[in-house]
Amino acid sequence: MFFHIVLERNMQLHPRHFGPRLREKLVSKLMKDVEGTCSGRHGFVVAITGVDNIGKGLIRDGTGFVTFPVKYQCVVFRPFKGEILEAVVTMVNKMGFFAEAGPVQIFVSNHLIPDDMEFHSGDTPSYTTADGAVRIQKDSEVRLKIIGTRVDATEIFCIGTIKDDFLGVIDDPGAAA
Amino acid sequence: MLTRAVRTSQPVRFGFPRRRVAQRSQSLLGIRVGIELRFLSGILRYKTTSHPEDKRGNRLSRKSKSPEFSMPRRRDDDDEEEYADDDRGGKRGRFIDDAAEEDDEEEEDEDDDEDEDAYNPRKRKQRKGASMFIDQEAIVDSDGDEEEEEGEDDFIEPGTDLVEEEERHVHRRPFAAEEEEQEDVDALERQIQQRYSMRSMHGDFDEEATDVEQQALLPSVKDPKLWMVKCAIGREREVAVCLMQKYIDKGSELQIRSAIALDHLKNYIYVEAEKEAHVKEACRGLRNIFSSAKITIVPIKEMTEVLSVESKSIDLSKDAWVRMKIGTYKGDLAKVVDVDNVRQKVTVQLVPRLDLQAIVNKLDGKEVGKKKTILPPPRLFNADEAKEMNIRVERKRILHEDYEMVGTMMFRDGFLHKTVSTKSISTQNVQPTFDELEKFQKAGDEMDGGANALRNFSTLLANRKKGHFLKGDAVVVVRGDLKNLKGWVEKVDEENVHIRPKLAGLPTTLAVNERDLCKHFEPGDHVKVVSGAHEGATGLVLKVEDHVLIILSDATREDIRVFADDVVESSETTSGITKIGDYELHDLVLLNDMSFGVIVHVESEAFQVLKAVPERPESARVRLREIKAKLEKKANAQDRYRNTVSPKDVVKILEGHAKGKQGPVEHIYRGMLFIYDRLYNQNSGYICAKAQACVAIGGARRGSDRNHGVAPLTSRFGNLRTSPGFAQPPLSSKPPRDSRGRQRGGRFDSLVGTTVKIRSGSFKGYRGRVLEVKGQDVRIELESQMKHVTVNRNLITDTVSVPSFHRDSSRYSMGSETPMHPSRTPLHPYMPRDPGATPIHDGMRTPMRDRAWNPYAPMSPARENWEDGNPASWGTSPHYQPGTPPARPYEAPTPGSGWANTPGGNYSDAGTPRENSYASAPSPYLPSTPGVQPMTPSSASYLPGTPGGQPMTPGNVGLDVMSPIIGSDGEGNMLLPDILVNVCRSGEDSLIGVVKEVFSDGSCKVALGSSGNGDTVTVLPSEVEMVVPKKSDKIKIMSGAQRGATGKLIGIDGTDGIVKVDDTLDVKILDMDILAKLAP
Repeated sequence: MFFHIVLERNMQLHPRHFGPRLREKLVSKLMKDVEGTCSGRHGFVVAITGVDNIGKGLIRDGTGFVTFPVKYQCVVFRPFKGEILEAVVTMVNKMGFFAEAGPVQIFVSNHLIPDDMEFHSGDTPSYTTADGAVRIQKDSEVRLKIIGTRVDATEIFCIGTIKDDFLGVIDDPGAAA
Repeated sequence: MLTRAVRTSQPVRFGFPRRRVAQRSQSLLGIRVGIELRFLSGILRYKTTSHPEDKRGNRLSRKSKSPEFSMPRRRDDDDEEEYADDDRGGKRGRFIDDAAEEDDEEEEDEDDDEDEDAYNPRKRKQRKGASMFIDQEAIVDSDGDEEEEEGEDDFIEPGTDLVEEEERHVHRRPFAAEEEEQEDVDALERQIQQRYSMRSMHGDFDEEATDVEQQALLPSVKDPKLWMVKCAIGREREVAVCLMQKYIDKGSELQIRSAIALDHLKNYIYVEAEKEAHVKEACRGLRNIFSSAKITIVPIKEMTEVLSVESKSIDLSKDAWVRMKIGTYKGDLAKVVDVDNVRQKVTVQLVPRLDLQAIVNKLDGKEVGKKKTILPPPRLFNADEAKEMNIRVERKRILHEDYEMVGTMMFRDGFLHKTVSTKSISTQNVQPTFDELEKFQKAGDEMDGGANALRNFSTLLANRKKGHFLKGDAVVVVRGDLKNLKGWVEKVDEENVHIRPKLAGLPTTLAVNERDLCKHFEPGDHVKVVSGAHEGATGLVLKVEDHVLIILSDATREDIRVFADDVVESSETTSGITKIGDYELHDLVLLNDMSFGVIVHVESEAFQVLKAVPERPESARVRLREIKAKLEKKANAQDRYRNTVSPKDVVKILEGHAKGKQGPVEHIYRGMLFIYDRLYNQNSGYICAKAQACVAIGGARRGSDRNHGVAPLTSRFGNLRTSPGFAQPPLSSKPPRDSRGRQRGGRFDSLVGTTVKIRSGSFKGYRGRVLEVKGQDVRIELESQMKHVTVNRNLITDTVSVPSFHRDSSRYSMGSETPMHPSRTPLHPYMPRDPGATPIHDGMRTPMRDRAWNPYAPMSPARENWEDGNPASWGTSPHYQPGTPPARPYEAPTPGSGWANTPGGNYSDAGTPRENSYASAPSPYLPSTPGVQPMTPSSASYLPGTPGGQPMTPGNVGLDVMSPIIGSDGEGNMLLPDILVNVCRSGEDSLIGVVKEVFSDGSCKVALGSSGNGDTVTVLPSEVEMVVPKKSDKIKIMSGAQRGATGKLIGIDGTDGIVKVDDTLDVKILDMDILAKLAP
């Protein structure tokens, strides 16, 4: 789920940037530092939409670096248990398939793939129903439900299921071709 | 009558034997018995107070029907006590009075009594009257009891005492018992009352018992001894009973005091007696005691232990899981199907380990060889299979169960049913692993369709450890009325678990028996495995199948199956055990066989190591002891376009099984990169690839640059590189192979590292290696002496240097590919001789950029050139980085391991600069090159194994003239027509093609397509690379004496190819690098 929230961060800035463009520097550094990071509480920081407030800088003894408290608005993406997501399959193997929904990687184990879909190895490994009507392979788009998440320092890893009503392939590149 | 007496006495007396007090029936005197009782109760008291745990043991043994059999004692004695105490008292008094005259034993007893009296002075006074005496005994005894007996109200201690006394009484007057018997019940009642009143009277006496008093109660030298008598196994109880019977029959003739059989002690009984002879006498004629049996005394100190051993009650029940302790099935899991407590036998169900062939042999009466050391794998028995092998399988019906019999072995449903002694199985801490259970279950499923699963489940619950529920655990009730009720653990009592049910409308907490509960998890929970094979692993629950969870491990991204009971919910993320000894998950390790790899998975006792095999993902299970060292140094390597790749750089793999994958480099070693691709789900995401087969993301693509000389490199490596470049032209303009020529001009550097001979002076005739050139002087490390000498350069001759130069450059240029050579040639000038700083070491310590200055590396113009142009050296240069175990690469007997990694790949790149060099070479040379000896003047000294080194020399001659800078690559793997090449021009995908024509400048005409029927293009040598042949491909030898010859690659051994040469039909072992695939 996406949220637009206000976060705060202490930014350290090198003295060389002190000058008329200090604020600009600070914001660009903020973007560089923060966008794409991930925290267990807020999820992925997708984009910074604005800087609300930059506090007074405090010069660090010894280094000359200045610490600014910065309040900024950002869009975060945090997957939740039970959330339904649409994701693109990135890899299929016998254990299941990996899909990505933006920055989040979701693994759908073969235990959580409907039983009528079987794994077919080959050039493009896929999960296919017996009649071949439904096929999950790389680049397929699937709708899945997240059943568990694990948050690391740098990524959120989810496991999902498509073994439920209205879940599964929503767009099949193979079929379209 | 006696028997009857025994019987009637039993209800009252039952407490006695349970106290593990041996009977002391037969003293002649009442006092004696009383005293002995005191002694014994003293043991008890001692035990109970000083070893609290003993109390439990005590109780246990009580429950488990202690095996002791007391000598006949009769309840009725008590009455007699009551009624006939006048009489007895009189007697006693008499005895006591003249006790001294009686015999030794009596004296002892007397002493004992004195002891008693010492702490209970009252006794003395009471002593004379018989009734008082009795009371007193009762008191003493109850003292003993009270502590140990707690709550067992029917435990009639004083009674026993009295009985004892009475017994003795009886023995003296065997027929006196008759009359006493009738009053039995009444007397008993009274006795009890008396006892309790006594107890309350002396209630606090007990508590005053101190250690000293306890000590006083211990057996001393004066007490009867305990003898250990060997008897038939399993007959211990019987023997004790026999002795009892014997005693009943023979009475006082039998001079033993008691006989004890202990459940936990097989093959022996204890007999209490004064003398060994008495024991022998008592045991004589007993069927189950062998006449030859040895009788050993139990040391006084150990006497108390004998009677206080806590018997481990083996709680064997049907369906329990046990493990076999001995025999073929040692360690195997077994399931109890039947328990015979009496015979101490257990029938267990096992997955048979049958060697049918052996059975056949046996049945045929054939010689059965020595005991096989190979254990047949466990497999279910199949009657049809057995029949096929002509083994007779009988069907038998035993107790409504059908069995298949092979000889004496019984099979049911494929399982072996085996009756074993309880001793040969272990019941403690049996934790069946999942696999083992599955094996049992699989078979079960076939038979009864999954019902087994449940059974397994329930038996597992019985096996689990105590107290594994913790507050907050999610649980589900699996049995009883509340089945399927989910809740959370609130509190754990001993057996009961208080749970807070999930459903509303139920009491806030419910107490449920631990055994009815099972942990409960939902898919998506993050859990940690706390016991079992996967202990320590964490992961997300994928699926819950009853009692079994399927977990996606965080570390390996693989499914693991565990029991719900072994798992706790946890937010912790670990990869299971991540460390054994010094080695941790994802470490780069060097194995004993000199290969290396990355630990991708840690098991409980071993690692999975992804080996450095770029061709395929090869991982091996490696035990701790097979790991030699951890490789921690940081190294760099060069990618295909000679960008430096350092750890953590992101690279993309351009070829091989993992083509297209990309990720950060985690480890670099010997030109091999270990790349972590988080999308890759094998080997924990690790991929091994050659540096040459990768490209750094964001790095410049330098393919075309190489054509234009060293410019990029010079810029890259700064002045280090430029200076040798400048140094080159003058010298390369001279014919370098001229033996004299080398002395002039630019020999300064090139001389360094060569082996020379000193022509005159005090070191005339010595050979050595040039370490340094200083003006007119050269410093030489002598081969024959560990010594450096400085000699005028005019006094040296470098004839010797030619071979070494070749070899040297070949070594360096071939880089790691020919590691064997030095080890094959112990006398090789390159063998490090200086312990301190051997040339090779120098080379290795020198960071690669300094190579230009490395005294051993840049010894010739060719060398320089090669330096610039041959990325192979860069790819492999990490070997020479500081920190490499010195000299190891050269000493390694198995170069294949690490060195093997740089085959064709290197070469393909490595080849290009050579072409450069040849590019300027006069074309006439080309045809003549094929492996003709004359070109390699010093071929005599060539090692047969270094063909790679040969071709370079002649080429150089010509080239150097024309292309001073790039020209003289040492090895010059000139292209030859008809070979298959990959054409990879910058910005295009590589195309396969066939070389049609090679021009003098090294460029060549290539017909695209694998059979050469496509467009013909002219490409620069840097844009083509030879196709590395596979086994049984037709090949062309690109360099060496056989250059130009065609053949067939019949095998590949590491970096060597086994080639059958077409012309001569010789089989040669040649370096893979000089083999090129021939167009079909």
